[in-house]
Amino acid sequence: MCLSRLVSVGALFFKIPVRGINFINLSNMKDNKIWLITGASQGLGLILAKTLLQNGYRVAGSARDLPAIEVALGSKTDSFLPIVIALGDEHTIQLAVQQTLDHFGRIDVLVNNAGYGQSGTIEELDDQEVRNNFSVNVFGLLNVTRAVLPVMRRQNSGHIFNLSAIGGFSAGYPGLGIYAATKFAVAGLSEALSEEVKPFGIKVTIVYPGFFRTSFLSTGSLQVAKNLNPAYLPVHQAQHEMRRSMDGKQFGDPEKLAGILIAMSENPDPALHLFLGVDAMQVASDKIKSLQAELTKWKKTTISTSFDA
Amino acid sequence: MTIKFMKNAKIWLVTGASQGLGLSLVKKLLESGHKVAATTRNIKSIENEVGPRSAFFLPLAVDVTSQAEVHQAVNQVVAHFGTIDVLVNNAGYGQTGAVAELTDKEIRQVFDVNFFSQINFIREVMPILKEKNSGHIFNIGSIGGYTGEFPGLGIYSATKFAISGMTEALSVEGKAFGVKVTLVYPGGFRTNFFEPTSIKNPVKPLEDYSTVHTAQAQMQSHSGSQEGDPDKFSDVLIGVSEMKNPPVHLFLGTDAYEIAHEKAKKVQEELQKFKSLSISTGFEVTE
Repeated sequence: MCLSRLVSVGALFFKIPVRGINFINLSNMKDNKIWLITGASQGLGLILAKTLLQNGYRVAGSARDLPAIEVALGSKTDSFLPIVIALGDEHTIQLAVQQTLDHFGRIDVLVNNAGYGQSGTIEELDDQEVRNNFSVNVFGLLNVTRAVLPVMRRQNSGHIFNLSAIGGFSAGYPGLGIYAATKFAVAGLSEALSEEVKPFGIKVTIVYPGFFRTSFLSTGSLQVAKNLNPAYLPVHQAQHEMRRSMDGKQFGDPEKLAGILIAMSENPDPALHLFLGVDAMQVASDKIKSLQAELTKWKKTTISTSFDA
Repeated sequence: MTIKFMKNAKIWLVTGASQGLGLSLVKKLLESGHKVAATTRNIKSIENEVGPRSAFFLPLAVDVTSQAEVHQAVNQVVAHFGTIDVLVNNAGYGQTGAVAELTDKEIRQVFDVNFFSQINFIREVMPILKEKNSGHIFNIGSIGGYTGEFPGLGIYSATKFAISGMTEALSVEGKAFGVKVTLVYPGGFRTNFFEPTSIKNPVKPLEDYSTVHTAQAQMQSHSGSQEGDPDKFSDVLIGVSEMKNPPVHLFLGTDAYEIAHEKAKKVQEELQKFKSLSISTGFEVTE
């Protein structure tokens, strides 16, 4: 067998770093955590699922239909369960969670990864486009979270990774404001969720990736506004240029992101806010600095609104 | 109420104007001679508080979640006043409950009023402002739109976080057309926000989240003693609308100031703590 396969197999029995990522001793696969990943048929979700399976973890991976997930990851095995989730349909989610429990007995890690990008200025997008982005990226995420939490609460353990985006921390650029709003919302609700589920031994991490080399920017994934307003031509041009120059050339390595999430899931004190990518770190840092500066600049106004003593 | 004649009176459209911050703003604006269109669910209530329709004041009954009603309302404002200069997206309410306690319906409802309604108004008003190459949009967020740390207000926070992100983008999109945009993050202001008449509680509370309920009740017990003065809030907004270079992010309240600083510090610390992980995700660059 080829070298990489040998290394993968060897990693099951020894502490061998795979592609620079150290894994814990995986010889006792019975104890390996069970992950449920939404949006596992492409992008970060797919790469995460593959990395997990290669390293002896067990995975339930979802897509909108069975063929999509089976084409990506194969059919059911002892360590992999393809599941179907329509994010807006709570029945499919309940069923998928039940199937996961029937197959694996528990759910240790939930990765709320399913989501898509919507480009277009605030004014350009129609009501349906705005609501759809929220339906998937926010309400769908909440639907899945609500279905899995009771399982984790009974276990008194679990870890939820909610995929936000660097655009969910800083959105000061044109043409992605609604997508950014969905990712801001994910961050906000996750902060609250993190406090609320602590008593149950459940951990929450908000993941803010920068640009990673997936199909996110491709025409199939990043939705374009149906009604382009000619007044925003410069924005359209800038976005077109961004896609042209970045699609397929993003700096972030999804396999490394996967490795970090896996390591974080084994960390007894995981991050609440996890920015991934040099770009994400820079943008986050810049946003905090500029916000602090604005806070300072307007301090007198800010603190002027109290009732007189 | 006496109305001063103001040479450069602006035309303001304020949503959620029947009580709280919105009502205070409407009154202050009229007192200083501005012209005001105010949307509310309850026309009688606002007329009792402010007065009848006049050359300066246009109360409108509007379901802000209805694109059609918002469209009609904006048309009525323009028909009455000729144009719009300032939009204040203020309509919204508090929704309590642990994140996992709220039903899909409750979640969509609070997003409908707090967030999607803002977009409805922006869609209608932006073209008017862009055409004049001027104007100001105030999106009223919340300190809860910068941090989700308030117990039992996570979904409400999510609606306010959404406003924060959307408004950051809007401010850049509007700049090209001379439209100013300010995101306002009020802390606790003495309004009916926590009162049973305004706030909504979960229809299906879960026993397991009793600690959240306790913390929530504690917070709600301060209703009526919040430090923020709605009239001072209004004074600030009116002042900011006159500025050549208004802030994009405007926190209001000593509590908001302190909480914002703390949150920023916390995130900065985490950024540092996990820095080596964060920067390790690039593809190896081969020479």
